[in-house]
Amino acid sequence: MDHAVQVGALEGVPAAGRWRRLVSQESVATLVAGLIVGAAVLLPLGALVLNSFRVLDDLGFDTRWGLDNYRALVQDRIIRKAFVNTLVVSTGATLLATVLGVSLAWINARTNCPWRERLEPLNLIPFFLSPFVGAIAWHNLAAPRTGLLNSWARQLFGIQAPVLNVDNIYGIIWVTGIFFTPLVYLFVVGSLRRMDPSLEDSARTTGAGLLRTTLTITLPLVTPGILSGAIIVFVTSAGEFGVPFKLGAPYGWETLTTQIFSKAVGDDANHYLGAAMSMALGVITAVFVWMQQRVIAPRAFTTVTGKGFRPSLIDLGGWRWVALAYNLGFVFIAVVLPIACLFVVSLHPVWEGEIIPADLTFWNYQKVLFFWRPDSIRPATDGIVNSFILAFAGASLAMALALVVSYMIHRTKGPGARLLDFLCVVPIGFPGIVLAMGVLVTYIRTPIYATLWILLLGYITRFFPYGQRNIAAVMLAVSEELDQSSRMAGASWLTTLRRITIPLLKPGIFAGWVLLFIIFLRELSISIILYSAGTETLSVGVYYLANFENEPLTAALSIAQTVVLLVCVVVFRRVAGREALTA
Amino acid sequence: MDLEVRGLVKGFGSDRAVDGISFAVPRGRFLTLLGPSGCGKTTTLMCIAGLHRLDAGEVRVGGTTYTSAAGRVFVPPERRDIGLVFQSYAIWPHMTVAQNVAYPLEVRKVDPAEIGDRVAEVLRLVGLGAMAGKLATQLSGGQQQRAALARAVVFRPKLLLFDEPLSNLDLKLREQMRVELKRIQREVGITSVYVTHDQAEALVLSDTIVVMSKGRIEQQGGPRDIYARPANRYVSSFIGIANLLEGRVARATGPGRGEIEVDRGGDRVRLACRLGEGVEVGAPAVLSVRPESVRALREPDGEPRLEGEVLQSIFLGNCLDCRVRWGDFEWKVLAHPRERLRPGERVYLRPDPEHSLAVPP
Repeated sequence: MDHAVQVGALEGVPAAGRWRRLVSQESVATLVAGLIVGAAVLLPLGALVLNSFRVLDDLGFDTRWGLDNYRALVQDRIIRKAFVNTLVVSTGATLLATVLGVSLAWINARTNCPWRERLEPLNLIPFFLSPFVGAIAWHNLAAPRTGLLNSWARQLFGIQAPVLNVDNIYGIIWVTGIFFTPLVYLFVVGSLRRMDPSLEDSARTTGAGLLRTTLTITLPLVTPGILSGAIIVFVTSAGEFGVPFKLGAPYGWETLTTQIFSKAVGDDANHYLGAAMSMALGVITAVFVWMQQRVIAPRAFTTVTGKGFRPSLIDLGGWRWVALAYNLGFVFIAVVLPIACLFVVSLHPVWEGEIIPADLTFWNYQKVLFFWRPDSIRPATDGIVNSFILAFAGASLAMALALVVSYMIHRTKGPGARLLDFLCVVPIGFPGIVLAMGVLVTYIRTPIYATLWILLLGYITRFFPYGQRNIAAVMLAVSEELDQSSRMAGASWLTTLRRITIPLLKPGIFAGWVLLFIIFLRELSISIILYSAGTETLSVGVYYLANFENEPLTAALSIAQTVVLLVCVVVFRRVAGREALTA
Repeated sequence: MDLEVRGLVKGFGSDRAVDGISFAVPRGRFLTLLGPSGCGKTTTLMCIAGLHRLDAGEVRVGGTTYTSAAGRVFVPPERRDIGLVFQSYAIWPHMTVAQNVAYPLEVRKVDPAEIGDRVAEVLRLVGLGAMAGKLATQLSGGQQQRAALARAVVFRPKLLLFDEPLSNLDLKLREQMRVELKRIQREVGITSVYVTHDQAEALVLSDTIVVMSKGRIEQQGGPRDIYARPANRYVSSFIGIANLLEGRVARATGPGRGEIEVDRGGDRVRLACRLGEGVEVGAPAVLSVRPESVRALREPDGEPRLEGEVLQSIFLGNCLDCRVRWGDFEWKVLAHPRERLRPGERVYLRPDPEHSLAVPP
């Protein structure tokens, strides 16, 4: 009887109509994407939590459940020291980056400093380069014995004791702070540009001077932006692996990331202790990111209102040349000096801290770049190929996933949309090395371990939210009715995606793709945990050369990586425009 | 009936945006859903289009069930053969006008040669013949509107839906497009449902008007019918301008006729009127009189006397828009332009009993 009733109700319905309710292209695609994101994000984190409670016995064969790993975090002297160092580095780098970032943003957004438009892209360059390479460069500039600056001081002024030394915690703070200055810069420059100029003008009319207005009106109004930038720098510094690994670990300055690394690979590997340390680091960063996302970022919109304002520029008078010198100084120290130094080093057969014009040669480039030659260094040359494969495939897959996920969140708006939106923020809360630890313990007993696939998985999981934000920003600006009218015109969901949605989102998709390509090409902290023989990446290659070969070879590969990244930056700016990164 | 909507219910969260809507449109006719923003008219339209799902009810087009909550039927929007003109026009900015219009035919795999002919034909119909090669972003608002219409009719849909298509145009263009829209709809002869909050638009375009409020239908009928015989106070105030006086039905004087007792500021009078549906003797009612159905006289003319004072008199060319204070009530009166009523003058008001209607409050 029941059957008959249903047939009656279905009379005159196109045959597939009933099935399509459940099995439409849209629901299948969104379900698959939702499951992928859910599994990719939640499995490693779950595995991390679980494994952090497993304790390795003394022989290193068996495990039992217990809290010993967490006890070790507090009791082990080295880990405790690493913990403190991490906090000191993050705090120091945050202070440095905030002071530099806010002042540079103010100069660029609100003053009549000459050449502002030209300087802006240069200020952002460190954001795209590898901090690890930056650390290598600064090591060559300011290591006590072999540092170029120190040897110049010896030669020119006869100062025998090293003037500069970056092989310590201050060096870590210095390099990290300089490299993450663009993060603060990006958060602040946007709100400074969008600020209603009448807020400042009204302060001026009450009799407040320029300095007073800037300090009492302008800066408080952009405080949410400053705080957001500062928190992101703090979190990113805490998760940074390359800089402390190069400048700290060899000289007794361990941080949590270098400790996690030593527990993930090597002779005294203990994944369970590594998982516990990752938990400690991850909880700290997650709390900070949560604060930034839910508490601080929403407030930014209440103080900075409206759009299309052209804030009045402040006439600095003669001081504008000082501002220019300051800005040029930053670009010189953050970009020009390290790259130039690396280039000089890379031209020497061996580096002893002195430029020897007679020895200059491109031999190092031939050795690391010509991967078909028998005398090439396999881990480094393999790394170049692997990194391009990973960057290309990773960026493409991540953007495809990001597209479907953004569609679910902002178009379909089904029951899972809010959960999915949350899942897209979660990876941002955890440093790459923490997530990589989770991926490692999750998949170590599966066939994908020791293949490029596990690296690909780690990359996409950690970084697809950046792509997702790029797409979402454009998607929110494009009316939903443009998609709907295609459906009404008779096009299926897939056809609409192909012919309407994707073409309209092309700028966002491409900008996101290039950004991910850049990130993946320089990625170190995930790769260093997940690589194995044959699956090295470009940055792992640099790490290998720095550890097992000499500085000039390392410098040559670093320069090669930097050149590729700079080319990508130019492409990125072409397609994305000025402030695309603020998302 | 070409389109049948039965018992439509659609909620968002705990809100019922549409709460039991039913109507039907015969083939080739033009029906308008009229109401203020938030009354559920657009939601109703989106349910017909298949862009929203229903909580209850059913939508049938040409005898085919498109959506039935009870029968668990849902035909996806792309398989409904419905043309929809959006409020924002939704012209794809990355395509030319011709590409926009050709799109529905392409996804239907129509022969390319035929596509060219039909696109040209429909562009001529909407008056965009010369614009075919232009990018959508190069069109003005009115031209985008026409392109959107062309795209909606090019595949000869079973049903044409309009979601406030004129609300983004300026007044002059809007009045011009109204007439144009009516012409095109007549020419293609497609059954149409139109959503608007503009009562003038509804009166000009529609064969049938459905007045909605808070997710429910207040009244449906022809434009004349709704204007002349509003079902209740809400409809009367929403369609056109009306003097609305609260009172009590005093007695019936014949079939559909009676007297209403109105009490304003101590002036208690009985006015002859028509009795609307649902009005009972002795019960409270609202007297609705259109401004053009009241005359303002210098001399009293029989009983009852409604003596008032002219507050304001604005010359509009074809009429004189007056406000007359009577007790604590302000009458809106449209007088003949040759009358010269000046502020402060004493006048006697005479509502036409034939065009005074008592409606339920």
